[in-house]
Order: sequence, then structure tokens, then C-alpha cells
Amino acid sequence: MSVLTAILMALTIQTADVPIAEEAPGILAALTQETVEIRSNFAGAELILYGAVRGLEDGDDIVVVVRGPAQDLRVMRKARTFGIWINRAPVQFEDVPGYYAVASTRPLTDIGAFTALRRSGIGLDHLRLSAPETESQEVRFGVEVTVSEIGEEIADYRGAIARMRRNESLFSETSEGVDIIDGGLFRAVVALPPSTPVGEYTADVYLFRNGQPVALRSIGLDVHKAGLERIIYNFAYEHSMLYGLVAVALALLFGWGAAAIFSRR
Amino acid sequence: MQIYLPIAEISVNLLLLLGLGAGVGFLSGMFGVGGGFLMTPLLMFIGIPPAVAVSTEANQIVASSSSGALAHWRRGTLDIKMGLLLLVGGASGSIFGVQLFAILRGMGQIDLIISLCYVGFLGIIGGLMFIESVTAIWRRRQASAAGGPPVSRHRKRTWIDTLPFKMRFPKSGLYLSVIPPIVIGFFVGTLAAIMGVGGGFVMVPAMIYVLRMPTNVVVGTSLFQILFVTALTTFLQASQNQTVDVVLALSLIVGGVIGAQLGARAGRRVSAENLRAALAFMVLAVCAKLGWDLVATPADLFAILPVSGAGH
Repeated sequence: MSVLTAILMALTIQTADVPIAEEAPGILAALTQETVEIRSNFAGAELILYGAVRGLEDGDDIVVVVRGPAQDLRVMRKARTFGIWINRAPVQFEDVPGYYAVASTRPLTDIGAFTALRRSGIGLDHLRLSAPETESQEVRFGVEVTVSEIGEEIADYRGAIARMRRNESLFSETSEGVDIIDGGLFRAVVALPPSTPVGEYTADVYLFRNGQPVALRSIGLDVHKAGLERIIYNFAYEHSMLYGLVAVALALLFGWGAAAIFSRR
Repeated sequence: MQIYLPIAEISVNLLLLLGLGAGVGFLSGMFGVGGGFLMTPLLMFIGIPPAVAVSTEANQIVASSSSGALAHWRRGTLDIKMGLLLLVGGASGSIFGVQLFAILRGMGQIDLIISLCYVGFLGIIGGLMFIESVTAIWRRRQASAAGGPPVSRHRKRTWIDTLPFKMRFPKSGLYLSVIPPIVIGFFVGTLAAIMGVGGGFVMVPAMIYVLRMPTNVVVGTSLFQILFVTALTTFLQASQNQTVDVVLALSLIVGGVIGAQLGARAGRRVSAENLRAALAFMVLAVCAKLGWDLVATPADLFAILPVSGAGH
């Protein structure tokens, strides 16, 4: 037995002695699928986000936020005019996620401080919905703040986005949607409805301690059309004229084909 | 059995689509109408975006009118000269309608305009048909000794005959200004683009009462014009607005051709007046439903619309 081995052994013992909790907390996470393909039988998808937290302590919480590709939206308020409901007063919102789901180990208000949730845009109440055309920057009491030109009404518009997207299952917020299985292991279900938009998604996993996020891990998810759906979609957008001609030709073929079949009988 | 529609970007039941196609096809075969005025609102009721419903329905009408147009062509019950004039108007109307459609969509008012057009036209046409068929049934019940009033074959001179640029239409036996057919064609072409209908329900009465064409060539000529105008509308909507969904169109066409054949057979066993009364009733029912949706307080007072021209 040499001196070298003795030193090595001593080193091993030393590292093993260090308590795990003292390490910087870290998150490992993965999705059961990193791509979702929309084919002709697509009727939504359910993915599992699973992972492990290094250095999980009692009272720590995990929050998973999944965001779909950003879209610009125009929200209009219906108003009765001459007895008929007409869309009026459009407000344009920019970069609204097409899909937004939050899952957490406990209700968000118990997990994070208001400012922390607001800063990271966690929860339907804190999701950033900006309408630049109606906003202006003003300096009040020496602080630059964003002021909405339509005042309190903007809250109704924001509320409408959250409410309608929720009804379509495109937005969701589930407290207790993240299960801590054992020690630092956790899992959460990500449910994509059939109308989920196509594009790049991100899933952010936050570790909250004492009301503040102490660790973050982001993973990507790609939702795209595949197979015949993709071919037809690309054809329609990239060769629009040819697509139109093919659509007409197919209709003629079917119309005349059917006439020929039925007249023979 | 769910099927994902690549352009409408929603998932619907394939059997529902085939059933809708067959059901509307059955009615159109039975009543001899295009069925677009029923299908487009039904597609919107099941959640297809209005823009896609209108454009795709134009594509389906190409199929449903093509077999009829071909049959009339073979039989010679079709006034090509008049059809071409209607087509000149129809093609310009279709181009105009597709532009108008894009502008209204950009303003977020397309749904409203489509609904208003439907309520207006279905109300007028359904109402007139209903009154006419009810009086016809009533008269038949009263069918008494006298063989009815003598029908005058002599045409009265109207303002139509005072218009310039007259032309002979040997097939219809008319000497008429080219202006009315072009105007009618334009009007019907615009309707086709905005409402997703063939426009037969406007064209046939216009040909009979305004142009005074003989009834034996009316249906064939109308189908001829509808075939070309809907084909052009499909092409324009596809190339300009990318709103034609071929998967949806083919599902409806397959259901439609089968339904139409069955409907045509069923229609032979029912009297014409009763058929017309039933059709009028149905038209009024669709009109009432659309009208109610316009005035009833909506479930949500806000609407989310995609920003026009935004990425794909």
C-alpha cells in the first residue's frame, strides 16, 4: 500500500463528508418527447416533464412554466349598435404566447413573492400582455412607469385573453400540478390541446425558496406539422397558385367522376 | 374519428364532415339547389374559421356544379353566349369580392358582414319562396273548373329594353342589352366570394324575372356560370388568402356526391310545391338562427382575432 493510495482514500472520504444541501441547488429536467408532430389524427398530446432537483430542502417549491410561440393578437370589444353586436375598439397585443401553462407544487401565491412572480411572468395574473400602441412611458415621482392610454379598460382586455384562452385549454394554471415523487424527483404533465399552435415552445422549471427563484432550467419543445398535413400546409403557403389550381382540378375530377359512376347505374 | 385539417388548423370528426356533406348534398339533390347557403353557416357552427369555411365551400361547389353543368351541356339546355356574358361580370365580381373579403377581414368585421349578408338574402329569398309555394299549394287545393289565367307569351317592354349595347341571344330567343347580364353576374360573383355560395338562388330568379330567359335554359346557364365563378373564387382565395382547405373540401365533396344522388331519387316522389315549401322553411330556419346570433347577447363580450398579415 503506497502513500498515494492513502491520500486518495482520504480525499474520497473528505468529499463524501460534505453534506449535499450545501451545494448550489440545481435542476435537471427532460420531457418525454422533445418534438410533437401534428398529423392527420392529431387530437392533442400529453407529455410528461420529469426531473430532479439537487439540494431540495423542506419548504422548497417547483414551478413549471410552458410557453408556446409568441403571436400578435387583436382583441375587440363587442358593442350593441342598432340592436346588433359589432366588434369595436380593437387593441393590439404583441408577443402573446400561443400556449401558456403553469404547474406548481402549491398555489402560486403561497410559493413566490408578488414581485418575483411578476418579474418572471409566472401565473395568469402575472403573464406579460403588452399592448404597445395604447401604452406610453411617463416619469412619475422620478420613476419611469408604463401608462395605459385606455386606463382601467386594459385590464378587461387582458382578462378576456386569459379567459378565452383558458376555455380553449391553451392557457392553464394548475397548483399541485407538479408532483414531488421522492427526494428531489418531480414530474408534471404538459397537456397540449388539438388547437395548440405550431412552433418552438420552452419549458422553464423554477426552484423557489423563501419566495424567490433560486434555480432555473429551460428545455425546448418543438411542435410541428408532419406527414401529409405538413406537405399540404407548405404547398398552400409556398405555391399558393398551384395549390389553387390543384384544388379546382380535384373538385372537377370528383364531380365528373361521381356523375360518371352514378349515371352508369 | 378525428381528422386534423391542415389549413383550418383544427381537429374535427371526419364522420361529422361526411355526414354534413351527405346531408346537405341530399337536400341539394332533392331541391335542385347548390347547398352552399346551408353548408357555409353549418361549417361556421362547427367551429371552422369563417374565412376558411367560405373559401372551401367555393371549392366544394366546383365539384357539385360540375356534374350538373356537364349534363346540361350535353343536352344543349344551356345558353353559352349568355353564360359567357354572365361570366365576364361574375369573374370581375369574384375578383372584387376576394379583395373586399381581405379588407373586411383586416378590419375584423368579416364575420359580421357574412352573417348580415346571410340574414338579408336568406330572409328575402326564403320569405318569397314560402309565400309563393304556399299560394301554389292553396291554389292547387282550390283547383276549380277554369284552367287558370291564360299565360301571356308577349313580353312587356320594361326599362331593361331601353338600355344600349343590345345583342342577340338566339338560344334564349332574346334581343337584350349586355348591361343587365354583366351587372347580375358581377353581383353574384361578389356574393360567391364573400358568402361562399354559388349564387344560384339569386341568379335563377334574376334570369327568369329580369332577363326573362326561357326556363329550360335557366338552370344549365346558371350552373355553367357558377362552375367557372366558384373555380375562379377558389383559385383567388387560395392564392391570395390561403384559406382553401383541400382536406375539408374533399371530405365534404365525397359526402356530397353520394347525398346528392340519393336526394335526387327521393325528390322525384314528392310534389314540387311541397318541396319548395319545405326548402323555404329550412332557409328561414337558418336565417333565424343567424339573425338571433347577431342580436342575442354573446357569451363573451370580447373577440380575439389574429392580426392580419402576421407570420406563418
